[in-house]
Amino acid sequence: MKQIKYKKKLAHSQKYTLMSFEKRRNLEGFVFSIPWLIGFLGFIVVPLVLSVRISFFQTVLTDLYGFQGTSTFVGINNYVKVIQDPSVGETVFKSFGMSLIKVPVIVAFSLFVAVLLKQEFPGRTVFRVIFFIPVILAGTIMTYLFADGVGNMSVFSSITTGSAEINTFFGTIMSNIGSIMWASSVEILIFLAALQSVPAILYEVVEIDGATAWESFWHVTLPYISPFVILNCIYALVDSFVASDNPVMSIMNSMTQEGTKYGQASALSWLYMLATLAVILIFILFTRRWLK
Amino acid sequence: MTTETVNAAENAAGVVEKKRIGGIKGLIKKYENLGYKAKKKIMHFISRIFVYFVLIEMAFLFILPFIYIFSTSLMTSQDYMDPTVQYIPTTVNWDNFVKAFQALDYIPSFFNSLGTSLLSAIFQTLSCALIGYSLGRYKFRFRNIVFILVVLVLLIPPQVMILASYGLWATLSLVNTWGPVVLPAVFGLGLRGALFVMIYMYFFQRIPPVLDDSARIDGAGPVRVFGQIMLPLVKSAIAIVFIFSFVWHWNDNYEAPTYMYLEGKQTLQPRLANIRNYFNKYATSQMMSELDRALSEPMLFAGCLMVMFPVLLVYIFGQKQLAAGIERIGVIE
Repeated sequence: MKQIKYKKKLAHSQKYTLMSFEKRRNLEGFVFSIPWLIGFLGFIVVPLVLSVRISFFQTVLTDLYGFQGTSTFVGINNYVKVIQDPSVGETVFKSFGMSLIKVPVIVAFSLFVAVLLKQEFPGRTVFRVIFFIPVILAGTIMTYLFADGVGNMSVFSSITTGSAEINTFFGTIMSNIGSIMWASSVEILIFLAALQSVPAILYEVVEIDGATAWESFWHVTLPYISPFVILNCIYALVDSFVASDNPVMSIMNSMTQEGTKYGQASALSWLYMLATLAVILIFILFTRRWLK
Repeated sequence: MTTETVNAAENAAGVVEKKRIGGIKGLIKKYENLGYKAKKKIMHFISRIFVYFVLIEMAFLFILPFIYIFSTSLMTSQDYMDPTVQYIPTTVNWDNFVKAFQALDYIPSFFNSLGTSLLSAIFQTLSCALIGYSLGRYKFRFRNIVFILVVLVLLIPPQVMILASYGLWATLSLVNTWGPVVLPAVFGLGLRGALFVMIYMYFFQRIPPVLDDSARIDGAGPVRVFGQIMLPLVKSAIAIVFIFSFVWHWNDNYEAPTYMYLEGKQTLQPRLANIRNYFNKYATSQMMSELDRALSEPMLFAGCLMVMFPVLLVYIFGQKQLAAGIERIGVIE
């Protein structure tokens, strides 16, 4: 009898008996994410829905959402106008092409730097900190600097001679090498994290089997971090799509500054977002076997 | 007897061989004959030299802009125009800083920048930790959905929403206050909030589950486990998120200037463009505007240096934490 009583006392969690242990845990987890979900509703969902609404109206600023009747409903006219505008289409395709050139270079460069920075050598913390300088300088200052030609290694672009296509391809990379390298700080961080998560025991195993450093990079490191390569590609893609120096963004800005084209700017931003999401989805589809 | 002759013969052969192959081939031969440890040492040495060479080269490329900004900010316009003057100004001209200080409207802009950046950084460090904790350590029912939402937020360009959000803040009459920048940060959104959530999630996932289980057996509630056990374990993530959040908010030249545009309410970044236009308003022709640009450029970089200064301070003081964070990120313990 006494023992049973004791047991009952031990299970002091009588207030919890409504739920099983696991259910309680799950609820806790959900409660921790509630603030973010509220914010998501307020600051993401509501503006998104409203911006869809704006894109169907010929808007004036005093009646941005078209609730008061000053703005006129124009249906999909804004979308049609944006699609029919040849300069918009050209700019979008150009910026996509530019991103597709830039992204592999950024990812390759940041992987290279991360591999170097991962090694043990005296003074590596100094170098690690140096490679985050672009994060500090980012913003307006960088634009001014590149406008002044600091990032332009014109030496490189003069080396590349040959057929026009190759020339423009390498020309764009080489003349932008500074800005490309500067865009890769976060990617370096992600790669460093990935590289540091590779268990050291794997390297020991292949070393005993007689693999060189080169072989162990291709057969251990790269397969292990392949999801992070994909992740970095996606991050770099998104980053270049929404960068403030992207020409599409400047089109949007000029539309909003005109004061009467808010609807068109919204339509363009939606079309652009759908296009970027499509590009990213296609990319994920093609690379999903490395994502595991 | 026999062993001696054999040894002598071997020695002779060795001498002959040494004589026959010299140069690089000989070196390679020597290298191949070495033992495992010696080989490893030599390869290590060579790779060291390579690593230092490449890294110093690149680090120079990353530091060069700093040097450029610093030297240009001390130049007079004549020095800036003179192609023979590179990096080292003929006279030190502090006047640039005084002019830039006035053009930047430094003190109110500085406090606007500092207030928004510091508050947002503090709030983001806390709120992103909450959601990152829930995603990283719990497997609740809607976890995958919430995770997909976070990824989606990462992918949505801010340009899609800026117009609608501006209207929202205007109806709440919060435009030209710190609200539009700080409030989303309170809920773990805001500038690159989704990225911070992912960083936290990654760190929390790496902590072995034994730790919070034992704390729970000792009678700690969920809040206590989070605050007293988990948060101290992800100090490096906190450092990374805080520094990045502060710096990115400080450098933000898109959202904050859109919401805070009135004179005196602006942050430092948009004021930089003001320096550019300091002389430009008198320009009438293309050539004149080129000249104006040259006139304002040293001032502009003096302004850049003044804008960068607080961030540099944060970076220098947080550098140790940041380095420790980078050191630990991803390491399995």
